[in-house]
Amino acid sequence: MKRIIQHALKNGSAVILVLLVLVGIVFVRNFASVDNAAVIVRQSAIPAIAVLGMTMVLMTGGIDLSLGFVVGLASTATGFMAKVWGLPVDLTVAATVLIGALVGLVNGAIIQFMKVPSFITTLGTGYILYGISQLASAGNVITRLPPSLLAVGRTDLLGLPTSVYIAVGIVALGWFLIHKSVFGRALTAFGFNSRVAFLSGLPTARVNVLTYVLCSSLAALAGLLLTIRVNAAQPNMGGGVFTFEIITAAIVGGTSLFGGVGSVIGSLFGVLIIKVIENCINLMNISYHLYLAVQGGIILTVIVMDKIRSRAA
Amino acid sequence: MGQRVGRILFSLLGVAALAAAGLLVPHFLTPANLLNVVRQSSIIGIGAVGMTMVIVILGIDLSIAGLIALCPMASGLLMLQGVPIVISIVAGIIAGIGMGLFNGLMVAKLNVPPFITTLVVGQVSQGLALIMNNGRSIGGFPASYVHIGNGSFLGIPVSDLLLLVMMGIGIFITQFTPTGNRIYALGGNETVVRQEGINADGLKLFVYAFSGFCASIAGILLSAQLDTVHPIQGDPYLLDTIAACVIGGVSLAGGEGRVAMAVAGALIIGSVRNVLDLLGVHPFFQNVLVGTIIILVVFGSGLSRYRRTVPV
Amino acid sequence: MDEPLLEMREITKYIYDSSGRPIRNSDVKILDSVSFDLRRGEVHVLVGENGAGKSTLMKILGGIIPPDQGTISLEGAAVSLASARKARDRGIAFIHQELNLCANLDVAHNIFLGREPTRGGVLDKKKLYAQARALLSSLGFEIDPMVMLGRLATAHQQIVEIAKALSYESKILIMDEPTASLSKNEIDRLFSLMRTLQARGIGIVYISHRFEELRQVGDRISVLRDGRSIGTIPSQGFREDEVIQMMVGRSIDDMYPRSHRPTDDVLLAVENLRLPPGAPPLSLTVRRGEVVGISGLVGSGRTELLKTIFGARRLLSGRIVYNGRKINGWRPGRLVRAGMAYLSEDRKTEGLITAMTIRENVTLASLFRLFRFGMISQRKEREAARKSVQQLRIVARSVEQTVGTLSGGNQQRTVFAKWRAAEPQLLLLDEPTRGIDVGAKSQIYKMIDEIAAQGLGVLMVSSELPELIGMSDRIYVMRAGTLVAELTEREAMTQAGILAHILKGASQPVL
Repeated sequence: MKRIIQHALKNGSAVILVLLVLVGIVFVRNFASVDNAAVIVRQSAIPAIAVLGMTMVLMTGGIDLSLGFVVGLASTATGFMAKVWGLPVDLTVAATVLIGALVGLVNGAIIQFMKVPSFITTLGTGYILYGISQLASAGNVITRLPPSLLAVGRTDLLGLPTSVYIAVGIVALGWFLIHKSVFGRALTAFGFNSRVAFLSGLPTARVNVLTYVLCSSLAALAGLLLTIRVNAAQPNMGGGVFTFEIITAAIVGGTSLFGGVGSVIGSLFGVLIIKVIENCINLMNISYHLYLAVQGGIILTVIVMDKIRSRAA
Repeated sequence: MGQRVGRILFSLLGVAALAAAGLLVPHFLTPANLLNVVRQSSIIGIGAVGMTMVIVILGIDLSIAGLIALCPMASGLLMLQGVPIVISIVAGIIAGIGMGLFNGLMVAKLNVPPFITTLVVGQVSQGLALIMNNGRSIGGFPASYVHIGNGSFLGIPVSDLLLLVMMGIGIFITQFTPTGNRIYALGGNETVVRQEGINADGLKLFVYAFSGFCASIAGILLSAQLDTVHPIQGDPYLLDTIAACVIGGVSLAGGEGRVAMAVAGALIIGSVRNVLDLLGVHPFFQNVLVGTIIILVVFGSGLSRYRRTVPV
Repeated sequence: MDEPLLEMREITKYIYDSSGRPIRNSDVKILDSVSFDLRRGEVHVLVGENGAGKSTLMKILGGIIPPDQGTISLEGAAVSLASARKARDRGIAFIHQELNLCANLDVAHNIFLGREPTRGGVLDKKKLYAQARALLSSLGFEIDPMVMLGRLATAHQQIVEIAKALSYESKILIMDEPTASLSKNEIDRLFSLMRTLQARGIGIVYISHRFEELRQVGDRISVLRDGRSIGTIPSQGFREDEVIQMMVGRSIDDMYPRSHRPTDDVLLAVENLRLPPGAPPLSLTVRRGEVVGISGLVGSGRTELLKTIFGARRLLSGRIVYNGRKINGWRPGRLVRAGMAYLSEDRKTEGLITAMTIRENVTLASLFRLFRFGMISQRKEREAARKSVQQLRIVARSVEQTVGTLSGGNQQRTVFAKWRAAEPQLLLLDEPTRGIDVGAKSQIYKMIDEIAAQGLGVLMVSSELPELIGMSDRIYVMRAGTLVAELTEREAMTQAGILAHILKGASQPVL
């Protein structure tokens, strides 16, 4: 625990967030209001769910480039199940998450047992999922979803939609899982040195596969909640841009690309940082496209700084 | 067995597949269609020339999608402003080389994993392509530019000639220069390369810069063919280029793979897509196929013919 | 005149602590005032046990590491060999056991990597292949320079490496166990090549253990032991026992406690295991309360044996019975739960996670045992870790210290702590005291004795003969992937006796 706090502090993600908020308050009109804060929180909730999964995968030393496409698949599936086939809400939710779990199982199996590198595997499966989503939806967007489904994410509680509370709950569970459970310890050990973990008797194959299963399941859940939020099921949801945003959030939050090091709180801060920047850019009417380019710059800066720091150490 | 036997089998398989396609698919074996296949494959092929070298040194270049959008966007905007075509094209090429150099620097000097730095550079390039014209496409280029993509020279489409030239450059570098030998050595045993006092970092810089160069040419050619620059036109080409290299026998374990074979792989991918198009298969399902092929081929060739270091 | 080709004088290399500083006042040094010389056209053989300092001495000669004291002269002139390249430029070529070549390039491209002949910037392939062919023929070998290196037999790959070394006009060749993977035929051809080189005035330093070969090829034999030069004798008519005595001549200290007594209860039985597929099958047993030692040269398969028992290496043929159950195909996870523990010889990459703390490493093998409900209680974990640190006398500021910053001895203690916490019944130890100080060593011996006294079984691989003899109730000797001897009587367990078993053998491919 101490190491994680130390790391988050060292990495400064908390500091960066505070600084950004201060900058926002001072320089950006309309930033400092309760309503705007609520906007930022609402925007951060769903990515927070997704970043949890990506953090786990990064901690094993791998990457999941299919995450954004799982979101699209989940969205398409949700639309079908809820509207077209009229399935009950709980079945829809369960089935969507299950679809995510299956994708993760395939990813994990290929990476662990066929030994194909994770970036190639998930790049390939991502494209495959994209294709499937597009085909299944025939390019159509399904709107006006049943109210019973929308209620899952949109019900208002103390000014915030239920999806925010769901996100908080999941992130809390995730924190326990990663930082307090045996699975989390096995995951961290695997990420630092999979050989030692294996030779110490840890179930490394299961841990690796389960990580991908969890990541894609969380991505599917995020897709479901996003679909509810915009009341539209579309195959284009998420995509490569979303994947990239999530990776940026995790890395800015201090998760290492090389495995072993990761923090749920740090990744949460990473999401908040990204969303605060996005919020400011919107309020200042800057082009969104510029923001995409800037996002890349952010990741690079973090990586370079991290390298320089570890060189100097 | 042998590399030679492998190559012969591969070519036979290719011929057999072509014959099957020709018999089964209407319109496939018409001269017009075949020329079209080559024309469309040339984009993939040009990208594959650079990608081959990157994969040989145990890297990957995920930024080509962004560069295939950015470089022609830069050239295109300049051309529409009246800047002479040659200068505009050179500007686009410089952008590609610059991004490639940046990738090389990150990989060689800072030890950043190639997939991350090229992924990021790709996104940044894509973002820039969107910013430069506010997300809008551009078109209506001068005739000589469009000629590059659609015209012929001495009866052969210029696209095909360009592919041949780039392939020729790639083959020349890899097979006929000391640099080529050292690039393969780098993928085989980096320790030895450094021991011999060879500038391994410089080689890496060169390879990534060259890949950026190829991506810029591919993008400029694509836009010449379409007479349009669409800000996200690069997306479909990343997967296809990697697939081309993988099918062409470029091993992800490094040190192995010929430029010529990767270009052949590009023609195969182009033909496959063409056949599927003619059969009316949805492009997105084609993606499913290509994605599966990559995973299977990588898995199958995971048992690489040569070990990385000489076994004792 | 007749000055030696090479003279190394009073070469000393200290041991280094974990932050990279040399420990100058220690009694134990890696090399202690070692002198070595080489004449033109001679083959000077260097022998010594594992860890005697042979490879360190040669690494210094090859420019890979610097000496802390001493001088090196080539043909009378003092030189400083600051890097491998500089050493090569001065005519010293090192043929390592793992060949420094690229399997994916052909022979000619390998030889001239970095010096490729060109004509106007373009690779001159004609010249490349012609030069390679000429070089190889001059050595008496008709190896096709266009063949991919990875396709060649190991023996030929070695010839290519030698050819490459000679293409730099080397005067001195260092060969480290060159015959380890060669057949009889290939060895003969290598020796005739060496004679060709000798005739050219090239001096060869030849590191080996194979006595039969030494008679055929050497001019002089020098023996190192514990970092010191013991003596140099002419090869002509040397007596094996004389050399063996020089290699081991030391007294066994009284640091090996023996309070345990082996029972008759068989804990582990390995039956007809074939390590390399062609080797004769091996069988061994370990009883409760017994410490069984395994000796043999590096490469004889000792580590592979332990790893196969532990499920970390695939079992091709044979049977392993543990606690009365057949455990073929069981993976480490299952075996650890069943009470097996494995201490790798490479603690930094296979024994500990250097980035994690003592606390996290100590509980690594017993997480499921300690935390039944899957949730880690930091308090409980810290307690367990503190207890271990106390019991094993690990010297650290706190259990939160990162393991990577500990000394070798403390790291090894931490590894022991990890396995102790897993409540094992059988301990598989691979070089348990390698690279650690005397204090930690004696403590580990005491621990092993206590463990055996509690009724556990210990199977221990070690290259240190005194340690093996001191601790073991029985000793097996391995060679070329199989067992060649089992010593059960204490009288038979002498250093000279064991070494004789280890070294006597025909040339065979090893693991």
